[in-house]
Amino acid sequence: MTRARRWGAGLALTWLLLLLAVALTVPYLPLAFSPDTVDLTNIAMPPQVSQFSHPGHLLGTDPYGRDVLTALLYGTRTALLVSLPAALLAALAGISSGSSAGFWGNSGLRVKTGWLVAAGAAVLFTLAALPCYWGSYRMLYLLAIPTGFFMVGGILLQVKRLSAPVPIPLDSLLQACITLVSSIPRLVLVLALAAVVEPSLPTLVLVLALSSWVGTARLVRAEVARVRQLPYLEAARAAGIPELRLLVRHVLPNALRPVKTSFPLSIAGLIGLETTLSFLGVGLPPEVPSWGRTLALVRLTPTAWWLVVFPVLLILLTTLALQQLASRPRG
Amino acid sequence: MIRLFTSLFLLVVFAEASSCSSSPASRELPLRVRWIRDPETLDPLTQPNENARQGVNLLYQSLLTVDYEQQRFVPLLAESMPSVRHQGARTLITYRLRDSARWDDGQPVLARDVEFTLKVMNCPDLPNEEVRAQFGFITALQPDPLDSRRFTLVCEGAAPELVLASGDFPILPAHYLDPQNKLGAVPLAALQQDSLALRHYPDVAPFVQRYKAAQIGQHPDALPGSGPYRLASWKTGQQLEFRRKPRWWGQALQQTAPQLQARPEQIEFHVIPDDATALLAMRRADVDLYPRMPAREFGRLQADSARHPELSFYTAPSYDMTVAGFNTRSSLLAHRLTRQAISHLFDVPQLIQATQQGHAYRSVGLINPENKAFYNDSLRPFAFDPTEASRLLVRAGWQRTATGWERQRPGQSPQRLALRLSYRAGEPTYEAIGLQLRAAAAQLGIPITLHPTESSVLSGRLRAGEYDLYLRSMTGNPFVYNFAPILHTESIGSGNFTRFGTPDSDRLIKSITTEQNPQRKARLLRRLQALLQAECPLTVLYFNRYQIVAASRLANLQISGLPPGYNVMAITSRPDDSH
Repeated sequence: MTRARRWGAGLALTWLLLLLAVALTVPYLPLAFSPDTVDLTNIAMPPQVSQFSHPGHLLGTDPYGRDVLTALLYGTRTALLVSLPAALLAALAGISSGSSAGFWGNSGLRVKTGWLVAAGAAVLFTLAALPCYWGSYRMLYLLAIPTGFFMVGGILLQVKRLSAPVPIPLDSLLQACITLVSSIPRLVLVLALAAVVEPSLPTLVLVLALSSWVGTARLVRAEVARVRQLPYLEAARAAGIPELRLLVRHVLPNALRPVKTSFPLSIAGLIGLETTLSFLGVGLPPEVPSWGRTLALVRLTPTAWWLVVFPVLLILLTTLALQQLASRPRG
Repeated sequence: MIRLFTSLFLLVVFAEASSCSSSPASRELPLRVRWIRDPETLDPLTQPNENARQGVNLLYQSLLTVDYEQQRFVPLLAESMPSVRHQGARTLITYRLRDSARWDDGQPVLARDVEFTLKVMNCPDLPNEEVRAQFGFITALQPDPLDSRRFTLVCEGAAPELVLASGDFPILPAHYLDPQNKLGAVPLAALQQDSLALRHYPDVAPFVQRYKAAQIGQHPDALPGSGPYRLASWKTGQQLEFRRKPRWWGQALQQTAPQLQARPEQIEFHVIPDDATALLAMRRADVDLYPRMPAREFGRLQADSARHPELSFYTAPSYDMTVAGFNTRSSLLAHRLTRQAISHLFDVPQLIQATQQGHAYRSVGLINPENKAFYNDSLRPFAFDPTEASRLLVRAGWQRTATGWERQRPGQSPQRLALRLSYRAGEPTYEAIGLQLRAAAAQLGIPITLHPTESSVLSGRLRAGEYDLYLRSMTGNPFVYNFAPILHTESIGSGNFTRFGTPDSDRLIKSITTEQNPQRKARLLRRLQALLQAECPLTVLYFNRYQIVAASRLANLQISGLPPGYNVMAITSRPDDSH
């Protein structure tokens, strides 16, 4: 690693740690204004020099009279609260689906027909009935669905024809899902999903994760399919190691290198996406401070340069830092 | 042969040259107006928003219309202003339709059409709740046996504004929608009063089905209208284009009846929900008229007017008000003192300064303060006073706890005061009001979450009562004082979003509608304002001022405080700039 690269990586890490520290400690920072404070006498004010006796708006105010510095610091927490869980969820979904498809292919995993039918029935039942009765009978459903699954599966297995194992075409299923999700532009997909569900932090995380797992799944599938062919796995199989253990203990550790590289990039992408959504006024409730929302307010006051410069600087530095982290050589 | 070719060549050149010179000269540029939202429907029965009303008025006509310059009603389809007689508690209003008034298919507009329209407005199972409440005072139509254009409307009550209100609904073509005159046999009173009219009159149900199947709201071009324009195209959420009819019955009368003017050849309404985008479109001359520009943009553009000689700026005090409404049937807001407490958390003077650049004005209620005769000046608008709000909450049974405000309920778990504020998404003024209220409420320990909602979804939620608090604009007028569509219990589920209504308020609203004596009417209106302030189903935050920006090439906009703030049919291009 060259000296410049080391410096770059160090700076990137410092910046990201600083952001993390701000996100964790922002409610305890000695800020002059809270994120809820609306100062209607000072709307769209340019940055002011703060005095000890009379705190001013260091980075100015937005057109609703909110302090930009406070909004950006709290926006850091929002960016992390949205992008980090979404990236983790997406990575988890991508790794589990991609590794299963890559490892078992279309014929490696065999399940008894009875269980398949029971699982299909449970999914159909959940999709049909849950939206109508979820509110009133939540606990009942949570108990009834797994109980029903095992009972129906158990009964069906008594039928001779339904007790024979059949292969599950995991790879084809995953490929179809990936094609389906990839065929819709990511922003359009997220906008459509965000328009359907009520705006809140958990729903936004879920929506972002749903749209972002595809890349990881594709990478992991390809890598697992490569590792699967290696001779040491043949040896492990011959030694009688169970399939699941083989996948988790011996395949995944060797297949996750690309994911480690793409994870920071995925966070950067999600921060960008969250900012875009907030800019468009979709996703998060309006009272939640966010970099994108602060940036969007420039449309109300096009001359307010401070509403562009500071959020853009934050987004730029964070994205660059994450990219620097991703391009760091490993091994 | 050479001569022939030369002649042909000259003919072609001449024809080409003449077409080049005459074609642009004979065609006017379309008038392009910014609309903030899609009209959703152009059905004359529903008219869910102001744009729908404006569009409907281009296609259909009512008996009377407003003269924007004089701010008074003038005859439109009617030949003259109606003659009025009083008969006990009833008012008999006699109209005669213009001889030359015609539908697009050449059929005359007759008293039968008016009677048919009234019946459709009261027909069960049609989306007519609002018009039914608004025009329910017209109980019968007596046609003149000797003159098919003359008729008398029998109205309950004797208020002077009944006369104006009686002529303010678009007339539909009976011969087209009901060619077999099936509704003719059904009395209007039966449709109004008989809840089982569909069963008692078997002809009504097939008519209702036909009317619904015609989908007039989405395809008004299929229906002949009497108005000067036809709908040429409608790209939902993007643009509506209206074209002037080449032959329209009103053209011949324009000299003597200026209300029949239809100057622009082509009118395009561009739906641009976002204000910043609309401002950009105005600056780039993609639209010619930007009605009701937000105060901040208007002020900024006007300050920079030296760099924009192509733009003209107009303002007018309006009857538009910004209102906060409460769901009075929600258990959290059922107590009037709770609603009063929340009303004390709006910092209205600061909001006027911040969002309207100080150009709006306060009011104690739905009556414009400019109307000195009817405005209750003994009342004071709710002041921004969190201490008073706390006091009122305690009186309403709420107790301050470490986590907020709670109220004990017998046999139930304690109720926590947490509210949801709904408003139209993408509207910065509502967002500013919402954030201010949220901040003030948070200081008091009341969590308020903001729910910016898409316009048509919001309308549905307000009608269904699925909200706690809302912010919206309402429009009044200086002519009619009929609050039944927005505050009467009969309008719950349609226009009465607050779901407010007491026997006393219902009686008072009906009395105001029917009262004829101006002094008594003033007393009743003052009483209503006091009652509304005490019950607080809604709080009028302020009355707005219209700010309109138009291309300088446009003239005769007839700017007024009546919505939409200009008369689109009167607008002309200045001679020098028409091309």
